[in-house]
Amino acid sequence: MEALLVKLIAVIYLLAAAGYFYFVFRRDTTSRLPALALLIGFLLHTAVLMARFITEGFAGVALMGEALLFKSWLMVGLYLSIQLKYRLTVLGGIIAPLAFLMCLAAFAYDRTGAEIPPGLESAWLPVHVTLAFLGNAVFALAFGVSLIYLLQERHLKHKKMTALMKRFPSLESLDHLNYVLLVWGFPLMTLGILTGSIWAGIHWGYYWSWEPRQIASGIAWLFYGMILHGRITAGLRGKKAALLTMFGFCVVLGYFLWGDTIFPSRHGGRFQ
Amino acid sequence: MKTPTVRFHAASGVANDESTVQKEIVIVGLNHRSAPIEVRESVAFENSDLRDALARLRSFPSIQEGVILSTCNRVEVVAAVADSPAASSDITVFLNEQKARRSPGALDEHVYSYQGVDAVRHLFRVAASLDSMVVGEPQILGQLKEYYDAAQQAGTVGTILHRLFHRSFSVAKRVRTETGIGSGAVSVSSVAVDLAKRIFDRFDDKTVMLIGAGKMGDLMARHLQGHGVRSLMVTNRSFDRAVELAERIQGSPIRFEDFPQYLKMADLVIGCTGAPEVLVDAAQVDKVLRERKHRPMFFIDISDRRNFDAKINDLDNVYLYNIDDLKSVADENLQGRANQADKAESIVQDEVQSFIRWVGSLEQVPTITALRQRFDEIRRRELEKSLGGGLKELTAQQRGSLEDMTTAMINKMLHEPISQLKSNSEDQGEALLYVAALKKLFGLEGK
Repeated sequence: MEALLVKLIAVIYLLAAAGYFYFVFRRDTTSRLPALALLIGFLLHTAVLMARFITEGFAGVALMGEALLFKSWLMVGLYLSIQLKYRLTVLGGIIAPLAFLMCLAAFAYDRTGAEIPPGLESAWLPVHVTLAFLGNAVFALAFGVSLIYLLQERHLKHKKMTALMKRFPSLESLDHLNYVLLVWGFPLMTLGILTGSIWAGIHWGYYWSWEPRQIASGIAWLFYGMILHGRITAGLRGKKAALLTMFGFCVVLGYFLWGDTIFPSRHGGRFQ
Repeated sequence: MKTPTVRFHAASGVANDESTVQKEIVIVGLNHRSAPIEVRESVAFENSDLRDALARLRSFPSIQEGVILSTCNRVEVVAAVADSPAASSDITVFLNEQKARRSPGALDEHVYSYQGVDAVRHLFRVAASLDSMVVGEPQILGQLKEYYDAAQQAGTVGTILHRLFHRSFSVAKRVRTETGIGSGAVSVSSVAVDLAKRIFDRFDDKTVMLIGAGKMGDLMARHLQGHGVRSLMVTNRSFDRAVELAERIQGSPIRFEDFPQYLKMADLVIGCTGAPEVLVDAAQVDKVLRERKHRPMFFIDISDRRNFDAKINDLDNVYLYNIDDLKSVADENLQGRANQADKAESIVQDEVQSFIRWVGSLEQVPTITALRQRFDEIRRRELEKSLGGGLKELTAQQRGSLEDMTTAMINKMLHEPISQLKSNSEDQGEALLYVAALKKLFGLEGK
């Protein structure tokens, strides 16, 4: 039953994605339908996660498949909250397909009865995981915003005015949003890493173990820190900032998807 | 193909009209395609003359209602008339008289005339800006409304033109919202503003620097001001000219030797001097950007020679458009509008059909009402007679039942003919035939 629901959620996100693309390329439509579809998908998504949480506890979000479900939920939720303040309908055209892919992957990944190994059950798990995932979700949005920025910038530089551009917000507001997301995402990521380290210290005895996961997170953290610093002091903005932000997220994403296969460790999907 | 005639019965609001006079719509005039500007100017009506002109128009016996439209691109008379051919020639005479005041010569080769469905279509097209010099321009609708209002105040608008014009306003609105006909800037100034909007979120905290005193630059600066820019700097080789222009547009004058130092304060820089040498080069802009912490800059080069080094566009966070770039965007948008025009034409066609149907259906209403009234009169009279005579022993309740029965009977008898009448509104000719037949057969004439 639940598998069916997850599939349904994925389909709804796919419809929303299609709706957004249609909206972006045609003039005589509103974005209300895809936005509504996204909201409905999100509500269903929330219900499934809550049910999961009630029956399985936090284990329901820790393993690979569930993690994708949780992450995509955070991402969509964040996008919908941002929509309240910044009108970024076009970003929906990036978030919705991402959410669709993540839910599809969540469905496809092997999910045996998830159980957290004893000893790992502590309050640190949900705190660390949520903070880390939230940070990721923020950077996922920053990725989307940067992508749109780059598209718009390219059109302007190459002197091509297409109807598509009318749907995009101005470069200034995109850049500003990127900055805001970075300002929120970086502390979240920092706290995510800190809580993870503290928990590791408590549970295994050492805070930093040069695990691939920690290293990758560290690299990403330094990267984003660099961007934030550059923004504040050296006027790093616009195209360069957008490219770096996108690259940073690719690192995060890349590790999340393949890191465990390339670098198996205690972290991620297998708790040993 | 024979154009079907459109006739309207009208309970006219104009005092000395007979209520069952059949009327048609006629439009006679000239526009930017049929007449050169000198001819148009010689026929144009001044706003101060309008009231008198409308009164003169109404004094022609063939013309019951009239609106005069006089803009720089067209002079047209829209009228509701009893006899189309007579009215057409009367209006032509009227326009010739107007012209004769200014210059001799006849208008006949420049004047066109539309009648009936064609007139309706023409007015809808004009309102939707399909007949304008620049398709999709937004002024024509406002102008149409103004001239309609003037005619209404002068008392020359009756129910026909009232319905026609109001419908044309909503057709115009529909065309604008459902097609891209008005979208995409088609003038160099508005293209520049559009581009600026893609770069900047708001204008009220931005500064514009205007280099040179060219007319185009002045226009563009004003355009930007209209969109919220409050801070303007003006510089020119001649400081006096700069001061003069700055005063006019409420900006600050800067001495020409000093302007490079002020560049870092400018978000938009407009270049419109006739100078043969480049005023700002890429290296300069690179430095300025650093001083500005890379806040974006938009350079607009509308001079004949290049005021700004083309390599400026290669820098990050800077955008440079020259006049050719702006023109090509404008041309693309114009093309886009032309493509949307087809869609607009089919909307207009739809609306013409539905207007004809709607007017046709309105014709039925007085007749249907009169028919119901006639039947009800007969019912009541007969009922009174019987209740006073042979049925006077009936109780109140029984009288009530009788009342109900007779009413129900009448309704059921009328139901079929009336719904047949209504459902026939597709073919206006037939529908009017039935209406006329009903009136004749039941002696409803004069109601």
